[in-house]
Amino acid sequence: MRLTIRDTKVEVGNYIGDYIARRINSFKPRPDHPNFVLGLPTGSSPLPVYKRLVELYKNGTVSFKDVVTFNMDEYVGIPRDHSESYHTFMFKSFFSLVDITPSNTHILDGEAEDLYKECEDYEASIKDVGGIDLFLGGIGADGHIAFNEPGSSLTSRTRIKTLAYETILDNCRFFNNDLAAVPRMALTVGVQTVMEAREVVLVVTGQNKSLALSQMIEGGVNHMVTASALQTHPWALVVCDEDATSELRVKTVKYFKSIEKVQDEVEAKYGPSGSLRLGLGRASAA
Amino acid sequence: MTDVIRFTNGYLAMPDGTAIKSDLYISQSTGVIISGQSNFYSSLLPPGRTIDLDGCLLSPGLIDVQINGAYGVDFSELDLASGSEGETKYIEGLEVVARRIVETGCTSFVPTIITQKEELYSKLLRLLAPRSAEGSAHVLGYHAEGPFLHPLRRGAHSQTLLMTASSNPPIDTVEKVYGAAGLDQQGVKLITMAPDVEGVMDCVENLSKRGVTVSIGHSDATLEVATEAVDKGARMITHLFNAMPPIHHRDPGVIGLLGDPRRKTYYGLIVDGLHSHPNTVRIAYGAARESCVLVTDAQSIMDPNLPDGVHDWRPGVKFRKEGHRVVIDGTNTLAGSNSPLPTCIQNLMHFTSIPLPEALLTCTLHPAELLNLGGKGQLKEGFEADLCVLDWEGRVRSTWVAGKEVWRDDRLGKGDRLG
Repeated sequence: MRLTIRDTKVEVGNYIGDYIARRINSFKPRPDHPNFVLGLPTGSSPLPVYKRLVELYKNGTVSFKDVVTFNMDEYVGIPRDHSESYHTFMFKSFFSLVDITPSNTHILDGEAEDLYKECEDYEASIKDVGGIDLFLGGIGADGHIAFNEPGSSLTSRTRIKTLAYETILDNCRFFNNDLAAVPRMALTVGVQTVMEAREVVLVVTGQNKSLALSQMIEGGVNHMVTASALQTHPWALVVCDEDATSELRVKTVKYFKSIEKVQDEVEAKYGPSGSLRLGLGRASAA
Repeated sequence: MTDVIRFTNGYLAMPDGTAIKSDLYISQSTGVIISGQSNFYSSLLPPGRTIDLDGCLLSPGLIDVQINGAYGVDFSELDLASGSEGETKYIEGLEVVARRIVETGCTSFVPTIITQKEELYSKLLRLLAPRSAEGSAHVLGYHAEGPFLHPLRRGAHSQTLLMTASSNPPIDTVEKVYGAAGLDQQGVKLITMAPDVEGVMDCVENLSKRGVTVSIGHSDATLEVATEAVDKGARMITHLFNAMPPIHHRDPGVIGLLGDPRRKTYYGLIVDGLHSHPNTVRIAYGAARESCVLVTDAQSIMDPNLPDGVHDWRPGVKFRKEGHRVVIDGTNTLAGSNSPLPTCIQNLMHFTSIPLPEALLTCTLHPAELLNLGGKGQLKEGFEADLCVLDWEGRVRSTWVAGKEVWRDDRLGKGDRLG
């Protein structure tokens, strides 16, 4: 795992946005995997990333016409056009602002008649397009990734999930502080679904995420901090701001800062294609 | 490709008088405003066309509830002697105005007829049922200004044609003039009448209940009489300040209705800078901004393309046009109004120091509320895609009716960029 630290959350967003755009632009289509496939999160942390991607689209750096997307999760029990649904979030923050092809976007349908089938079909459609190339994610204050709340199996797949009481309370503010209106259930990709992506990039910003960040990086792999599963991912990148490093040890921060320097030197020497031999498309020092 | 058009890179005029930076989606086939999000996830197709507003303001189409004519057409002139030929000619005239008026951002209007011979009404009102032609503004119904007006406040209306409702019950006279069919027909039925004219007060409730919008105008009424009319159902005051007693601090008259919190009364205002002094406009607007309705009260000579100078009008009469001021040639007598709505909006902005999106409410949301026009006057999902694009000076750039572009400023060319 690599950890890249930037001063502010805007810089974090710019870094990841540029990173994803480079990935899309260097993608080589294959017959069994014709499109770049991007996994996407919702929430406030990734907003600066979306903002950067929209900027890059507007100045002509990147096009999303041929990009296929899969979102992480969606509530069960609120309509698709509800102001707090993840369909609405994605349309407002990203889809309506770029040239993405609507039929290339996938979001779990929380209103589906058969929720089990909806989850199985979702996994199947990820396979159909040749798997996810890059899964962008965030983490919760309790270290959850997607709606894989503490205690979720680290080998879980797309499924129905009951939300943790803490998450429900936290979401209350989006539903007029009416606890009864907050959805109790969600559909979410599993930890394993994320782990199978070729590359995972996490955006972690703000001091309220600092404990979760330290637990997922400095603690062991643990189902109470589901994002810690990424420690076993061959190609995971966490980008955080200075605020989020508050609970990390100084030693940890220094180590990852030095890695970034070495990484730059490796790339300067071998170029980003040097690691093609590793099947990764990019050199990695971690 | 879909028939969906997306307006982007501009601002939307909202019903609270503000503007927000947002996209608007319309369907060309159904002619209504749709949810871009529902369309995205349901049709799974991108919009068929994207229009770049280039920072301009997208507003609901403008609505004019008092327009006597334009482009050489007078809505009060029906040649009864020629029978059906006269009616055909009348409809043609109506269609000319509907087709051309869209250049002023107007997408709906209520043709207004000034006091006519009694026998003309039943014929005329029938011709003024709602009418929508391709590429033209909607004709919403009729506005009958008269004949139950007060002689002291008749303005340009003919003294000899004014009437009272002196029958028993008075509604019989009113029904006889407009025709029961005319009072009960589809669409907008707006009648300007003076509640202080004999019998009129007794008819207000009956008319309001059958869907007629009663507007107090050409009246010498005291505030008490005007208030009683509003309590019986009258909803509007016709061209405030004009053809009514001027406000007196001990006897405010009809104007005293303004701003009554228990009786919301809309009022028409001609903001051409001539019919009311700019400061008078400011006072009225300050007293009751939620019920202000801009009207052109335009005459047949209204035509923004007509150059300044002397033009023929009626036989033996010429008029002289100097900008938006039109006088009978050789005199200083105003020959009626001929300022199109965008000019009135710009004036209102300047006279009252309000921003454009707020000024637009006076000819979008307010007239739609006044006339209970469901589906018009707001940029809202499910509402009609009657639109008007304006720059921030209040100049019209393009006009859309039922989802189709019906007019565009020549200087903007034909592409997908407006501004």
